[in-house]
Amino acid sequence: MQQTPLFEQYAKHNARVVDFHGWALPLQFAGIIEEHKQVRTEAGIFDCSHMGEFLFTGADAMAALDRLVIGSMTSLAVGKCRYTALLHEDGGILDDGVALRLSEEELLLVTNAGALDSVAALFQQKVPGAKNLSADLAKIDIQGPLAPRILSEFGFECVRSMTFWSGAQLYRKGLDLIITRAGYTGEWGYEIFVPNEGAADLWQELAAHPPVKPCGLGARDTLRMEMGYPLSGQDLTADRTALEAGLDRFIAWDTDFPGKARMEAQRDSGDYQVLTLLKSADKRAPRHGFELVYNGETAGVVTSGTFGPSVNCGIGLGYVPRALAQPGVMLEAGPRKLPVQIETPPFYKESTGRNRIEAHHLQP
Amino acid sequence: MNPDTLKYTEDHEWIVEQRGLYVVGITEYAVDELGEITFVELPEVGRRLERGEDAAVLESVKAASDVLCPVTGVVAEVNDILEMEPDLINRDTYGKGWILKLKDVNVEEYEELMDSRSYRGYLKTVE
Repeated sequence: MQQTPLFEQYAKHNARVVDFHGWALPLQFAGIIEEHKQVRTEAGIFDCSHMGEFLFTGADAMAALDRLVIGSMTSLAVGKCRYTALLHEDGGILDDGVALRLSEEELLLVTNAGALDSVAALFQQKVPGAKNLSADLAKIDIQGPLAPRILSEFGFECVRSMTFWSGAQLYRKGLDLIITRAGYTGEWGYEIFVPNEGAADLWQELAAHPPVKPCGLGARDTLRMEMGYPLSGQDLTADRTALEAGLDRFIAWDTDFPGKARMEAQRDSGDYQVLTLLKSADKRAPRHGFELVYNGETAGVVTSGTFGPSVNCGIGLGYVPRALAQPGVMLEAGPRKLPVQIETPPFYKESTGRNRIEAHHLQP
Repeated sequence: MNPDTLKYTEDHEWIVEQRGLYVVGITEYAVDELGEITFVELPEVGRRLERGEDAAVLESVKAASDVLCPVTGVVAEVNDILEMEPDLINRDTYGKGWILKLKDVNVEEYEELMDSRSYRGYLKTVE
């Protein structure tokens, strides 16, 4: 298994390490529920160094990238982030990612570990000027309501002015860092891209700060599901199009990209399955692979499911026919016919992520 | 309960005779695999269960898992407290985290189960 530059830090916090797409990563430290609540109430740090980072330099590279992703990258304003996805020729999802326009000339695209080799091969083949930084950059996410204050105390001045889904480059302790106000938890938080050689120091610095606790993939998964965010490779797969995955609002229909024809046909017919949120009435959860039944007939499938610690019930994501995807519709999930109700996102409605950060939030 | 005096199944349940009833729970290994338990579905008292039949369902953050009945018998008692405090299993699986008690069990099946020493040997083959 591959190890991130932070691998040696895990043992200090009693991590339980698992294989995630060939990477040895922490599933949990203190426990999934405790870490989950830590992020909802204070702050947690995640090692996301397994993720992919690609740098695109120059107008030609950005235009070539535009022809591969469902959205427009050339129209992205400097300092802003944008969610997008890469599709196969048949419209099936290869991976999703978040772009940050670093400057007029440069754009960073952050992708996932699962499809990294395919994505890297695609860019190498189709985008002159694309540079794969994945092996050189570590990524530490700090997430939670106290994250702005903590980074401010650590000398990240830029967090004072950073709005939701924006990013910046900064120089700190001899290192060039990139920071975005983003994340995968719904809370105020930042993703810090740090050269490998500086990763352990930054992690230890943050981990030593009392309100910060290390968090693993388990809590990352429960946090993202409570927000209704899909996971690449699990909810977003090669047999589903971006339209089915509910990524409509990220599709620039006036641009060209692989799979567009298939999705136009789906859009025009209106006949396709769509990714929806499913909520259980109690703590039993729908689980990945559970069949969804409506009025006695197979209607779809659950792609993600868990107990949601902050909503205190079972939650999940699954595909159902578009006509059924209405809030309040009841389905049965899995062999025990667990009743689940279709919900509008997010499950957890009190998250801080989009809120404005005021000066007093930065004060101890 | 002293883990050394219990009997074990290959599915990581433990069982022990106590004052005429047979107490059933899951092993430390199973608890570790499941993680934090969030929901416990218990069988009805009086129900007859065959060996290997689903006796209870445990749901954790990560997964749902069946507890299989270690021996044929009749459900005499269930640990109701688990419905309110499922994480008792995480905290004390050989004690307050017991799941059910059986009566009228097939004693031959009970005698055939692994003792703690065999179970420890078995664990080495699954880890």
